[in-house]
Amino acid sequence: MTVKWIGKRMMMGIIVLLIVSFLSFFIMHAAPGDPAAAFYGGNAQTLNAAEKERISRVFSLDRPVIAQYGTWLAETVKGNLGVSYKEGRPVSTILMERLPNTLLLFGVTLFFISIGSIWLGTTAGMKEGSLWDKGLSTVSIVTSSIPAFWLGILFISFFAVKLGVLPSSGTGDIGGEGGFVDKLRYLFMPAAVIILTHVGIYARFLQESIKVESRNYYVTVARANGVAEQVIRKGILRNASIPYLNYIGMTIPSFVGGSIIVESLFSWSGLGQLTVKAVVTKDFPLLMGGILLTGLIVVVSLFVIDLITYSLNPRLRKGDVR
Amino acid sequence: MLSVRQLSIDIDGKSIVRNSSFSVPLGKITSIIGESGSGKSMTVSALLGILPPGAKATGQALFNGKNLLTVSDKEMTEIRKIHLFTIFQDAANSFNPSVKMRHQLYEFSGRKMGDTIEEFRVKMEGILDDLGLASEIMEQYPFELSGGMLQRCMIACALYMEPTLLIADEPTSALDMVLQKEFIGLLKRLNEQHGTTILLITHDLDIVAEAAHDMVVMRHGEVVETGSVAEVFDCPKHPYTKLLLDSRF
Ligand SMILES: Nc1ncnc2c1ncn2[C@@H]1O[C@H](COP(=O)(O)OP(=O)(O)OP(=O)(O)O)[C@@H](O)[C@H]1O
Ligand SMILES: [Mg+2]
Repeated sequence: MTVKWIGKRMMMGIIVLLIVSFLSFFIMHAAPGDPAAAFYGGNAQTLNAAEKERISRVFSLDRPVIAQYGTWLAETVKGNLGVSYKEGRPVSTILMERLPNTLLLFGVTLFFISIGSIWLGTTAGMKEGSLWDKGLSTVSIVTSSIPAFWLGILFISFFAVKLGVLPSSGTGDIGGEGGFVDKLRYLFMPAAVIILTHVGIYARFLQESIKVESRNYYVTVARANGVAEQVIRKGILRNASIPYLNYIGMTIPSFVGGSIIVESLFSWSGLGQLTVKAVVTKDFPLLMGGILLTGLIVVVSLFVIDLITYSLNPRLRKGDVR
Repeated sequence: MLSVRQLSIDIDGKSIVRNSSFSVPLGKITSIIGESGSGKSMTVSALLGILPPGAKATGQALFNGKNLLTVSDKEMTEIRKIHLFTIFQDAANSFNPSVKMRHQLYEFSGRKMGDTIEEFRVKMEGILDDLGLASEIMEQYPFELSGGMLQRCMIACALYMEPTLLIADEPTSALDMVLQKEFIGLLKRLNEQHGTTILLITHDLDIVAEAAHDMVVMRHGEVVETGSVAEVFDCPKHPYTKLLLDSRF
């Protein structure tokens, strides 16, 4: 049962990646601009028509898009993501340089958002009608409607410009020893912006599902029979965490999308910033690689979330659909 | 044992139960009977301190000398934990769907009495066996068991706890006829063998005739008649009781 379930999930993940890569490939080719010209960058206007055609032929850019996609896919499956137009280095090398920074930002923010929202959501949800309950409902709406880039600019102007205590952009001091503490200083603002704009809404969702779960019949029965309060709460939290996890799963793609903006704002040298640059410079191989790897992060996160949900919900495990 | 005096319940200004008085004598099975919506479940909720938000109960409900309507939260928790056990109407929804029965049965019984898991396992398996339930159900989830099995799990906890007062709110309305009879038999056995005092809520006169010693008739939120089952069946005083008895045959 479990093996079959995992297999099915993995298949779905692969299909999602295929669709994402296919769509990006086509959108890229439908966008205005000539990839052959993009390859030459600043000197593109000096190219004449014959030279452009020659470049197109050499790079197979004159072949149908579907054939080009096929070739890209075949090479990608073999582990070859091609060479960046702009940097002339293998795409995989460039991606691997950026991946740790993105994973660090993603991991740290998701960790604090989970911890924070579980703590806030549980405190507020378990005490229906309390100050916590009402307070979180309001605060979460306010914080989630603050645009991340706006809060980012506010942070930069306060912490970096006015107080001068934190660096405004980058991932490490150029002259610094490049140590962990140094990195944390750079991580602080982008992470804080993402956490602050997300923790409220996730907490709010958990709060609501705890309140709904608490109204269940079995809760009244347990309480009326003097079952220990912390045991009842544990049971409520377990069940309420299933819709909460679903919600996290549903919002992971847009969460990752939001991180791209924050990465760019703070010049955090991660995948998001790289992908945005690749769009601007029409560096197609790099762009495809960036999209694919970002997609992979999303798919793997969803898989992990599904796995946790699966382990929490015996009905799924037992294949019961009553 | 339990003596209810002038109990009134209001929800958001709407009167649900008015001046109801009855008592539940020690060692007897007392039945509250009344049509749907007559306030039976609300009466139980008031006794247990689990009224919905916006509800207010006034009057007195003396249980072992303590007024259940005014005791502190701490005392109420203690009473619910040790002295009372309540079986609710909807057995299928009485357990947390994602927790194994073993854990839930333990929390409903052994844990409250301070027994270890091992002591609990031995004693509970004996009780389950007695009730015709295989001990494998301990490793199953509520959704894998039938309503009747879950209801028997509840009574297993009651048998384990041997509470001072067992309250059963329409415990059989979700069961078929055969299980209903069996369940009533179990209640009677608990009463006869362990001397457990039982408050049995129902809207079925046959069950009253079969199981109860005393009865309380409720209608539109008021107690209209109380007395021993034999007395009331022989000469009902209130017209509603007469109507009830007539429609039975
Ligand atoms: N949460 C609530 N808020 C307001 N009124 C309620 C609420 N719950 C029940 N009532 C009302 O209280 C009255 C008594 O309900 P109660 O559940 O005690 O009836 P009952 O005698 O147990 O009926 P049944 O045999 O159907 O279980 C009903 O008229 C019902 O409409
Ligand atoms: Mg009822």
